[in-house]
Amino acid sequence: MSNVTLYHWEPNANSGKPMLTLMEKGVEFNSHYLDLLNFDQHKPDYLAVNPQGTIPAMTHDGRVLTESTAIMEYVDEAFDGPKLMPKDPKDQWRVRWWMKFMDQWLGPSFSMIGWSLFIGPAVRSKDPDELKAAIDRIPLPERRVAWRKAIYGTFSEDEMKESQRRVALGIQLLEETLAKRKWLVCDQYSLADINGFNLAFALPVSQPQHCSEEKTPHILEWLRKIYERPATQKTWAMGRTDLAKRVKILERS
Amino acid sequence: MTMTLYHGEPNGPSLTVLSALFETGHAAELHAIDLAAGERHGAAVPINTEVVMSIEGEGPVLVADGEPMADSVFIACYLNDTAKSSPIAPAGAYARWEMMTWCRQIIERTAPAAAYLGTKAHLSTKLAAIEATAFEKMTAPIRSEDLKARWAAVRSGDFADDKLEDSHAKIKTAIDKVEKQLGDGRDWLLGAFSIADLETYAWLAGMRDIVPDAFADKARTAAWLDRVKARPSVARALGLATTPAPQNVWAPGPEINRWG
Repeated sequence: MSNVTLYHWEPNANSGKPMLTLMEKGVEFNSHYLDLLNFDQHKPDYLAVNPQGTIPAMTHDGRVLTESTAIMEYVDEAFDGPKLMPKDPKDQWRVRWWMKFMDQWLGPSFSMIGWSLFIGPAVRSKDPDELKAAIDRIPLPERRVAWRKAIYGTFSEDEMKESQRRVALGIQLLEETLAKRKWLVCDQYSLADINGFNLAFALPVSQPQHCSEEKTPHILEWLRKIYERPATQKTWAMGRTDLAKRVKILERS
Repeated sequence: MTMTLYHGEPNGPSLTVLSALFETGHAAELHAIDLAAGERHGAAVPINTEVVMSIEGEGPVLVADGEPMADSVFIACYLNDTAKSSPIAPAGAYARWEMMTWCRQIIERTAPAAAYLGTKAHLSTKLAAIEATAFEKMTAPIRSEDLKARWAAVRSGDFADDKLEDSHAKIKTAIDKVEKQLGDGRDWLLGAFSIADLETYAWLAGMRDIVPDAFADKARTAAWLDRVKARPSVARALGLATTPAPQNVWAPGPEINRWG
């Protein structure tokens, strides 16, 4: 038994960030899978660990840590293994800037599109009363609002259009940046690449009009390099749904 | 190392970075710019992708050895980590996690609410008085379309009731959290003084007049606000103000989470 337990969903977005970070560091951890679409994260067992009901959460030596990006920094600092935060303070600033940009600007636009296509329809097939009760159990008011929007698909046309704009621009910025250097923020593989991979690994299937061999060769090479890392292989093998299986598109032909 | 800081009036993110600079003892050339007049987008301020796309909105820009940097908490981390000791960030992975998580909640929830309420109270009328062509000229260099849209919304007085209500609630939540955190009689939010105190103070100081009920019966928070204000670094930053009430100077900030 390790003294680290990670409560997570699929290797994807926020759950995948600490999963891949732990794997890269070589930290043994107990995996506690929560089915996001079954609202496991709002059930009493998990609320006893993280009263906010957000995924992921990690326990280490009896302490509970939340917020995926802050957990990544913690894991890098608290455990031995390869350093995933570069040494130069300016590169560290750039790691944090890009992670915030992806977490707060680009990620929400990806998920608005992803949820409307994938998660919303999947969850809507449940019993309506059960679904309503599940939403009412969500502890954080802002998460209740977000889940309602996601489940019932109440994003306006303008909101979806704005998300499309951001996704196209974000992909362009990633491509421009990766054309300049080997990894996202400097010449070293870092937490920013781990964060970015979780956001972008499925881009060639989800956004083929913007992300392709012809249009974004640097993004594709970057994704493939990360995909080929042993830690990535192990992390995505933990996935249970088609969401994670999409990573296979990064196999070199 | 050569540093130049382009900063606005000492409020919000400019106050965080100015105070962090003075706490850490770095020498930097200071350039005051009028963020509320869009001067951050003028030719005088160096830019790169990170400055142009900063989701903090109208914050300061630190140029260190030629590289422009944006986003106040991360600039403050940089100033701390390049200082001789670690004056405004705790040592140890868990204490750092506490600070980053605290700041993240301020950045993501409190800052957008404060900027929304602050620009409504103190900037909207001023921008409305600017003639349309002049406003267009002033905002034309803003490269981030969503930031530019926030400027236009402030000028046209486009403040939605649900967002105003939600912003009030977010300020109240932040104050409740501060009061609870200080419950054991500690002086600073995370034990030792840190970037968390600076960032939290910087966004909340101007909310006293706008959301007074959030501050009612919050004696510990009131004493903490006074303590932060009296720190030599913060007092020095506030001393750079060109107006008697810098806490009332606002420019468009981070957007309110689009997911609600």
